[in-house]
Amino acid sequence: MNEQPLKIMVIDDENIVGKRLKPALEKTGDIVEAFEEGETALARFAQEPFDIVVTDIRMEKIDGIEILERILAKSQRTKVIIITGYATVEIAREALSKGAFDFIAKPFKPSDLRQIIERASKELRS
Amino acid sequence: MQLLEKLKKLGHKNTGIRDFCIQTIRFKKFLENARSLLDLFEDGREKFTGEYIFDRHYVVSLIDSVVEQLGMMVYDASVLAPDRGEELYAAYDRHKLAAANLIESNGSRPNAGPSESLAADRDDPEYQLLSDALMWFNGKNAAAHTTVMELMKKIFFFVIQSLESPGSPERQALSEKSTVLAADKDFYLIDLWKDALALPETQRSVSDFNSVPLRHLLMDVDETGGKAKGHFQKSGAWVAAASEYQLSLNTLNPDFQFRLETLASGYEPSDFIFIFADSSTNLDTLLPKGFHVENSDYGRFAWNLDVSAKTIEDSLMIIGRNLFG
Repeated sequence: MNEQPLKIMVIDDENIVGKRLKPALEKTGDIVEAFEEGETALARFAQEPFDIVVTDIRMEKIDGIEILERILAKSQRTKVIIITGYATVEIAREALSKGAFDFIAKPFKPSDLRQIIERASKELRS
Repeated sequence: MQLLEKLKKLGHKNTGIRDFCIQTIRFKKFLENARSLLDLFEDGREKFTGEYIFDRHYVVSLIDSVVEQLGMMVYDASVLAPDRGEELYAAYDRHKLAAANLIESNGSRPNAGPSESLAADRDDPEYQLLSDALMWFNGKNAAAHTTVMELMKKIFFFVIQSLESPGSPERQALSEKSTVLAADKDFYLIDLWKDALALPETQRSVSDFNSVPLRHLLMDVDETGGKAKGHFQKSGAWVAAASEYQLSLNTLNPDFQFRLETLASGYEPSDFIFIFADSSTNLDTLLPKGFHVENSDYGRFAWNLDVSAKTIEDSLMIIGRNLFG
């Protein structure tokens, strides 16, 4: 039986991240939308919730922690994965304590992120 | 360098042996900084394969790290070769400027890739910036003497030239102290830690010396061996400065430059073999497979990093056989 494709939102103010992650994650049939601004992404999320949100932690206007909090306030079931360029224990601890599903440090391979998404997907479907 | 400062305070002051030990230990620190630089180059190359998601911040951090690490190498070099300090710092300043210009350019320079096989998606400014950075690190097509690698080679040469300067009091001290001449082989034998604190009272044997790399270097050399053979006969007296896991091997012959440095601790990420030899030395007949060799105007550099303890030990046995067997 085919599973429903996941709806994945990617938020990173560095254009290259969304540009390269989108096609990489779409290869498995999931639906991916990429955003460079947190506000635009949150507005889109308000229209229609996503299963998984992958967001950078450090962005100019809204940081990843705020996005995490606002996403979870709207949809408890959404799994938020934090991308960080500074893989410190503190940042990971803060993100996880606020409900992030997991985090991944840049630079990373899309296959590494895919593994986290697969774990998130299992939880969503259990 | 707290440990070195302690050695300076505790060690005996009546000979150059203590300073020789301190120099050798500092040279190992210098090699560690060089290795960190090579690791940064490798990290950049790996990210450039297209398999990774990275951003501008990564590339800028990489460039900044290279500048910082290069600065540490230059600092160590200026301590080991003080006469060259001014020249090296001037070259370092030029590289700092090159790095700043690189970051400023934001990867806007077209067609600067280190490889012609770049895919179309490498047109992203982040990829272009990384491509330019790799060219600056060690680009084969970069203008002569503009790469970090070229400066590294120059730094190495200056340092080794200074360390092996025949007139240096540290090296003269070796031949003046008969107790550091090994009883069983044609080697000056220095215990890096013990001899820095107190000179040996009697001659010691290589076979009694507790040093993993020295033991493997001479494992296949028979009892009467220890004298260099073939091309290496011109080497003159050898100096082996060793500790349990470290070995620094070089010669006292001013006309023959050869230096082997190794750490064989069994901890793979930090173990290495590094060799510098003057241009007359054919490293192809000396080294086993697996070494990275760089030629320069100054001589030949070879190294093997990230290898298992067994590979290090086997390599030392082969090198020892080829040198002294």
